[in-house]
Amino acid sequence: MRTGGALLCTTLLLIAAAATVRGDEPAAATKTLVIGVMPKLIGIEYFNAAEKGAREAAAELGVELVFDGPVTNDSARQSEMIDLWIARKMDVICVAPNDPDSIAPVLRKASRRGIRVLTWDADANPASSLREFFVNQAENEAIGRGLVDVLAEQTGGRGEYAIITGSLTAANQNIWMEWMRKHVAERYPDFKEVALKASEEDQQLAFQVTQDVLKAHPNLAGVFGITTVSLPGAAEAVERAGKAGQVKVTGLGLPSSMKKYVHGGVVETFILWNPIDLGYLTVYAAKLLAENKLQADSTLEAGRLGAIEVKGDQVLLGPPLRFTKDNVDDFAF
Amino acid sequence: MTRLRRLTRGYGYEVALGVALLPAYALLAWRAPLLRDPENLLDASQHIVEIGILAVAMTPIIISGGIDLSVGSLVGMCGIVLGYAWQAGVPLWAAALLAVLAGALAGALNGAAVTRGRVPPLVVTLATMAIFRGAAYAISQARPVSGFPVWFEDLGQSYVRLWPTPWQAPAQLLVFLVVAALGGFFLHATVYGRYVYAVGSNERAARFAAVPVHRVKLLLYTLSGSAAGLAAVVFVARTGAAKADAAAGYELDVITCVVLGGTRITGGRGTPAGTLLGVVAVLLARTGLGYAGVPDVWRTLLLGVLLILTACAGPLLAGRRR
Repeated sequence: MRTGGALLCTTLLLIAAAATVRGDEPAAATKTLVIGVMPKLIGIEYFNAAEKGAREAAAELGVELVFDGPVTNDSARQSEMIDLWIARKMDVICVAPNDPDSIAPVLRKASRRGIRVLTWDADANPASSLREFFVNQAENEAIGRGLVDVLAEQTGGRGEYAIITGSLTAANQNIWMEWMRKHVAERYPDFKEVALKASEEDQQLAFQVTQDVLKAHPNLAGVFGITTVSLPGAAEAVERAGKAGQVKVTGLGLPSSMKKYVHGGVVETFILWNPIDLGYLTVYAAKLLAENKLQADSTLEAGRLGAIEVKGDQVLLGPPLRFTKDNVDDFAF
Repeated sequence: MTRLRRLTRGYGYEVALGVALLPAYALLAWRAPLLRDPENLLDASQHIVEIGILAVAMTPIIISGGIDLSVGSLVGMCGIVLGYAWQAGVPLWAAALLAVLAGALAGALNGAAVTRGRVPPLVVTLATMAIFRGAAYAISQARPVSGFPVWFEDLGQSYVRLWPTPWQAPAQLLVFLVVAALGGFFLHATVYGRYVYAVGSNERAARFAAVPVHRVKLLLYTLSGSAAGLAAVVFVARTGAAKADAAAGYELDVITCVVLGGTRITGGRGTPAGTLLGVVAVLLARTGLGYAGVPDVWRTLLLGVLLILTACAGPLLAGRRR
């Protein structure tokens, strides 16, 4: 009876689990393309917006979209989930990797199995991952230089500044920082970087590390929050420390989360692109890739976005957008 | 008594679990057709190998009445040791050995604190969980090491034939199976293995029976640390990067597998065979749900529910002591 009890319990459990499971739609019967789009993590506004755009494109194109990712910016979890997608034999896998190198082995495996691979938002190591194209929101150089120019305008091009990034492995954030530093070296020799902190896509952590930086560097002139999660965290820290206006804050942020700081005078200007459009473009690019119609150094037609430039193996959404108090209320993301 | 009954005497829970897994598999395979191909399940097992290795090493610790919460952090630390040693010019195989050694030393540290320091294992390993993770971040400054030679990464992605079946299984799975076999050998066929059960059932009585309790515990924690080092090598090969935040939160998955496998958290009862089945159950649940497209968040919830209910099933077997 006791053994029976254990047997019963375990079976009941797994049955309960199985019963809640949604079966796969019979997409294999018809020839609908199955496209998997994986963000760095789910649950942040930026990627929620990207999902909106991706679903819009999927509906327009009549493809099946699977949008899923890990709950934290965990690259090992991403690899594990992509492995599952490989077993599900998707047609195209699009991933925004948390780590450009550790995602490479599983992407190679996908290529070997005949699955097309794209990266978006952040790139994987092109040589070792064998990814075919990278859907980039804007030229990295434009983002890096643009960010520095914004802060330079506000601080007169001199002073100490800190950078709050997401994770120290994210390829996109690292390459923007490279361009930022290059731009500073070329144009603003009186600008000095005094701190670099990671915030792991956690707004609370961004808030904390910015507070620490403000305390450690009382003469700080400016702070860059270069992820959509670290910018509001940094702005909040500056505001709470009573240094709004004294310490200039800028970076990459979503209008929806930055509205109050812009109107509150903490942030004058910040930069982004349209993440909804990025998600939209990724799905379009994926479909064209699956149909072998995506080519290097060309232009492609992406639905409501019109003509999109493909520079080398990068599909470029467009130039970065500047947000100020004049336009920050105009956007749906 | 039939031969079968005699063979499985004392294995009531494990047999029940094994049998329960069959209808569970059948049901999950009905809802997630990809599961019907055993190679898919074998393929997915590569992600659970590290957890499996840690679970096998955790089993004797829990049987002895202790616990080791630091295993996840230790995997991170040993991975960093591996990565940075290699980056500093140490040949990769030596760096891997160094990682295992670092794990053993760290495990011995845990063991010493538990035995000499008389600090409860929960408190010790809670502290070392933070210490090891902190050490990993400190050494690496949160910068990962990647760009390992392709042969190493491919090791983490290669397949071997699971003789005598025609199926292809990931190479790491064999590492796990060897570790599980060694664990079984240790617990069932060695004197110290026997001591583990004695200590777990009644530590005072064991001490009075001249069981070298301190030495046993020290050995178990050192083995757990070495296992973490080995798991770190597997992890780095599989993911292609040595990161300080590797295996974060793994200790919970590990303990889930061990408890699911019938090991009593209060000690005195458990087997590596049960742990192996626990790992299979977790793999089945995770993979099956993954193939069916159930979002990540639901999987965590369901595994928690699974754990609670099997923990309840444990006391139902009260009296069935080994």
